[in-house]
Amino acid sequence: MNTARRTAARWLRPETVVPITSFAVVLAAYLLTPVYHGHELVDFDVYNTLQGFASLGLIALALGLTILAGEFDVSVLGMQALGGVLAVKAGADSGLVGILAATAGCAFLGALQGGVIARLRVQSMSVTIGTYIALLGLANVVAGNETLTFANTDASIWINQTVAGLFSPRSLIALGVFALVLVVCATTRIGPELRALGGDRRASRVVGVPVDRRLTALFGVSGALAGLAGAMLAYSNASASLNPGLQPLVLAAAAAVLGGLSLRGGRGAIWGLLLGALAVSLLEQVFNVTALPASSAQIVFGSLLLVVVVVDAPDLRSSLARLQARRASARSAPSAQVKPKAAGG
Amino acid sequence: MRVATWQRFGPLAEWRSLRGLFTGLAALGLVVLVVLALTTDRFLSVENIKAILSSASIVGIMALGLTFITLIGSLVSLAIAATAVMGAMVFLVELNLGLVPALAISMAAGAAVTALQGLIIGAWGANPVILTIGAGFLLSGITTKASGGVIVQPTGGSWETLNSTPLGVPLGVYVMVALALLYQFVLKRTVLGRRVILIGENRDAARAAGMRIPRITAIAFAIAGASFALGGAFLGAFNKGASAQLEGTATFDVIAAVLVGGTLISGGRGSALRTLAGAIVIATISDLLLLRGFDTGAQILLKGVLVVVVVLATWVASGREGTA
Repeated sequence: MNTARRTAARWLRPETVVPITSFAVVLAAYLLTPVYHGHELVDFDVYNTLQGFASLGLIALALGLTILAGEFDVSVLGMQALGGVLAVKAGADSGLVGILAATAGCAFLGALQGGVIARLRVQSMSVTIGTYIALLGLANVVAGNETLTFANTDASIWINQTVAGLFSPRSLIALGVFALVLVVCATTRIGPELRALGGDRRASRVVGVPVDRRLTALFGVSGALAGLAGAMLAYSNASASLNPGLQPLVLAAAAAVLGGLSLRGGRGAIWGLLLGALAVSLLEQVFNVTALPASSAQIVFGSLLLVVVVVDAPDLRSSLARLQARRASARSAPSAQVKPKAAGG
Repeated sequence: MRVATWQRFGPLAEWRSLRGLFTGLAALGLVVLVVLALTTDRFLSVENIKAILSSASIVGIMALGLTFITLIGSLVSLAIAATAVMGAMVFLVELNLGLVPALAISMAAGAAVTALQGLIIGAWGANPVILTIGAGFLLSGITTKASGGVIVQPTGGSWETLNSTPLGVPLGVYVMVALALLYQFVLKRTVLGRRVILIGENRDAARAAGMRIPRITAIAFAIAGASFALGGAFLGAFNKGASAQLEGTATFDVIAAVLVGGTLISGGRGSALRTLAGAIVIATISDLLLLRGFDTGAQILLKGVLVVVVVLATWVASGREGTA
């Protein structure tokens, strides 16, 4: 009985319920497209969803890991742009070299900023806004201020080819990286340590988590993931865009919150983040097949973020409780006045 | 040996050396800037200084508003560009009512949508970054839908007033300077301003002192929203129309101006005059690089590096380093 209740409580935690519900709702919305839009479900939908996931998922992972640790890495947008440019520049002869150059370059810059953030214990969002702008500038400088076309068509064709009808090398790499991070976080101390960093930084320092080293590595990994996403996107599009805009950050943030991560840090799981990223990718595909205009998609994603961020707000519950208490005391006020009389009588 | 000396002074010595490092960096930057300015052809001409002020003005007007959001401890808004575009559209559509009513309606609209975000952040402690990204996205979607995706055209001719140049200086520059003085006065000499700064400095203390945090946060956001819309109206007048394309890099330009001014990102420290200086410094450096023949990439890169260095320097100077 007790065990059953405990199991139920574990399953009802937000980091479990939120991602499963989000994914189920979006999946239902997709499966019902034949009913409300006359769309025929095809393998290509899955392929396309996973193509979207290949960039969105990696950016969401890059951002999500930092959110989990109580940080917020805006620079993933700049890393994505720089990764694309580096890959196109270095990958002219060998696609692999380009991808490695992009990932390693962005990992180095990420670790550099992580080291500074850890050492000065400064709020990461402000620093990463600065590095985001600087990285966009760097991408422009490396590219010579023009959109680069990727001449290595072999690599472009290879990375987009269908594998088993549903996948492509690109989406398989993204899924593989996600699986790797998932396994590392689940089987080593790194997962709990990340959550500890986000939950209580001072306490984790006291119990011996090497905070500075973890933060440096965290931003390095975040940079590497975003750089990889940018590199593969550039290969896939056969050109490197110099400014990804805010959209990837919006979608990644949506994936993180739908994946059950708390924006205050310390709460969430990698598998939840995976479901969140898949949910957002599938939702984009639903918008695709139903030919929803971009502005409507913007409205949906904007409203979605607003709702989730309000539900996640730390003071929402206490302020609702205060309101309820006030109402309750207003209701019981008359009887409270009666009481002393009764006692006197 | 060197390690031993370092350890003897402990964290204090490290902190001092960091402060010294940043002071040195700032001084070096200033010297380089002055030398470059003096040796660059046409830089010190009246025309060029006008050009710098003019390019600082629209970003400056919006950045002065954002200062309130940063000071009250809500970091930054990522809905700046979307609010400005909405402000531009409302302004151009309402122009048939006359210049002043159109400006007033546009600023009221900007204030309303932004105050609502401030209310949610102040009352429930919602994450300001994510909330404003969401709000900005929603706003963009709505304005694109409402305008039918085409460029909104002015319904009257008085928008030209915003592009006028009394005494040879663009009107936007006067507005920026007047706004800076007004906001500086509000922040330093009024009860509202002191409350904004106290909430940013120590939210718990402000709450314990019985301040109505949701209301004051909403007012700070309303001032910011009105400023975004006002900047947007100038942007719309300058382009003789408004569409989502106007958003450009406005959001991050405005944030950069506030941060380069040296306002502490976590709130409680900073001023409107600092933001004014930040906007002018960024415009000056961009202008210098342009005159020296550097491309856009180099300009953006330097702007980003400047933001990082100033953010770190402000943080170290605030003495809060190592407190987390």
